[in-house]
Amino acid sequence: MSAYEIIFYLLAAFILGNGILAMTTTKIFRAAIFLLFTLIGVAGLYFWMQIEFVAAVQIIVYVGGIVVLIIFSIFLTQQSGLEMPKATLQRKIFSGIAAICGAGLTGLLISQYGFTNNPDAVLDDSVQNIGTQMLDYEDVGFALPFEVISILLLAAMIGAIVIAMKSKVEES
Amino acid sequence: MISFEYIADNIDKWLNNTFSPWLALTIEFVIVGVLCIGLFAVLGLVLIMMERKVSAYMQVRLGPNRVGPKGMFQTVADTLKLLVKEGLTPAGSDKFLFNLAPFVVMIAAMLVLAPIAFAKNFQIWDINIGVLYVSAVSSIGVIGILMAGWASNNKYSLLGAMRSGAQIVSYELSAGLSILVVVIFTGDLSISQIIESQQTGWWIFRGHIPMLIAFIIFIIAVTAETNRAPFDLAEAESELTAGFHTEYSGMKFALFFLAEYVNIFIVCAIGATLFLGGWMPLHIGNWEAFNSIMDWIPSSLWFVGKTFFLIFVIMWFRWTFPRLRIDQLLNLEWKYLLPISMFNLLLATLIAIQGWYF
Amino acid sequence: MFITQYIKEVFTGVKSLLIGMRRTGYYFTHHKEIITQQYPNEIPVMAERFKGEVIMLHDQNNEHACTGCTACELACPNATIKIVTKFDITPEGKKKKAIDKFVYHLELCTLCNLCIEACPTGAIKMGQNFEHSVFNRAELTKVLNKPGSKVRDDVE
Repeated sequence: MSAYEIIFYLLAAFILGNGILAMTTTKIFRAAIFLLFTLIGVAGLYFWMQIEFVAAVQIIVYVGGIVVLIIFSIFLTQQSGLEMPKATLQRKIFSGIAAICGAGLTGLLISQYGFTNNPDAVLDDSVQNIGTQMLDYEDVGFALPFEVISILLLAAMIGAIVIAMKSKVEES
Repeated sequence: MISFEYIADNIDKWLNNTFSPWLALTIEFVIVGVLCIGLFAVLGLVLIMMERKVSAYMQVRLGPNRVGPKGMFQTVADTLKLLVKEGLTPAGSDKFLFNLAPFVVMIAAMLVLAPIAFAKNFQIWDINIGVLYVSAVSSIGVIGILMAGWASNNKYSLLGAMRSGAQIVSYELSAGLSILVVVIFTGDLSISQIIESQQTGWWIFRGHIPMLIAFIIFIIAVTAETNRAPFDLAEAESELTAGFHTEYSGMKFALFFLAEYVNIFIVCAIGATLFLGGWMPLHIGNWEAFNSIMDWIPSSLWFVGKTFFLIFVIMWFRWTFPRLRIDQLLNLEWKYLLPISMFNLLLATLIAIQGWYF
Repeated sequence: MFITQYIKEVFTGVKSLLIGMRRTGYYFTHHKEIITQQYPNEIPVMAERFKGEVIMLHDQNNEHACTGCTACELACPNATIKIVTKFDITPEGKKKKAIDKFVYHLELCTLCNLCIEACPTGAIKMGQNFEHSVFNRAELTKVLNKPGSKVRDDVE
């Protein structure tokens, strides 16, 4: 087993271990922190695959954005410092079934895809290439999804501002 | 000529000739790790000393002047004191997270050190997404602060952590946008390429107006991101005792303190790299004679000089300006810095496309 | 106009910050004019009104002006002063009340100056000594009249 593989298994153990801890802990803030470690582990996996751009984006979006938001919402929740009650048996059974179904579906898809090992395919992950493809409307471009997502985010932002805005009618 | 590049190359050659490649690589990892930790220790001592002396001179005092010549060993004595102090863990705290938090802050600071070029061709990891990596990894530090604030089970700590979170998340935006201005001019994210592109002059001179605005915004934003006065709401001695590290003592407190100063060094090093050319000596266009004279000064000295100049500027801010209120802080970011840096980004794009820079 | 107002605000803000930085920059480069006193090396001269401790004034004949009237003891809000009196035999054979010990508890004193205001003869005043740290708390209990001292003749 080469060091490359050893690092992969270490990362995988880190991700899975933290994922299990995030599920089983009864303190909600700890769960958020373990989730954070899982996401950092996934970023580490991207670094291991040497696609640094995706890794950096993973850290920016998930660690810097989403987990901080989760933690903020925990801070602002009442009695979030208390331990949560253990899950009931009914819940455990149903969540177990859901997890098995999800894992089965994913496994089925992966086994059907049949990864072909193609050493000739060179992955050009330079940022220049990503940027060009993102705004390219030719054959290999992603201009349409990019713009659609931009509009979605813009709509979400405007919605947030509208919700947060004080209406002047109420004040007077 | 002895330079860091020369020393590093020779050590690398010697190790590879003496040991097997794997062992050589492992030894190099260990050396780099030890050097990083050593750099942290030295930086902690030097920067805290510098801060105390600068603050004293700006307030017409002498500063520490008892331990050693001119008080130079004061920080060494302070560190020894912190080392032997008891690290208390409060009874009502979440002990695991409480003890983990200082290490998260420290590790985040350590990871950012990787892509910084300390001298010509002297860099731990020349990653191709350099500045993106820096802005990504530096955002892990805020998690440590939030963790410390929550785990302390103390309302001051929690308030401090929340303020810190809001502050860092919002100021990251304008810091990122001002970094983007440099990226637009350079067309590359890697630190070594950004430095290479400043061969004929530093960006702050070549990029004139948009670069100057970006530089000012960057300095303001990083001052806020490192939780320093006038943006030290997360600590705010007079309101929150000590903010997120109220409950920490001994070495765990020292780690927070050290991480703060290391973060200052890192953001100043990034600022020096992006706007002032990193290790690149002061070159002016095609003045060959002038450029070759400037090349005589070692590149590591250029880097350290620029970084410490920026650190001095940030200290100057701290000892001049009063602390902002939380609403003023958020107003400054969302009503002033963010719109200005967005327009600045458009202006920079226009200038870069038209080639209206030197 | 909104935009001009905005730009003006930014510029006045930056300008005022620069004025502040120029001031501290001036101090930084002119550090010869240190305003603090280097305490253990140079003993600071305290102001006349500084209240460090209660002292009793003695002249060169080792005489003081305290008649032992206990006005200061009564005026003291927290029992800092305790006057122990005795009876001197005057040359005419008459007994005369005088102080034996003027006991002063520095550890209890709040330096409020009420005893000095109460004193009818001006025998005590506030001294300027501020270095009161001792290793033993008992040392803070002081006897203010010097040994062998007596009340001045002209004081009634």
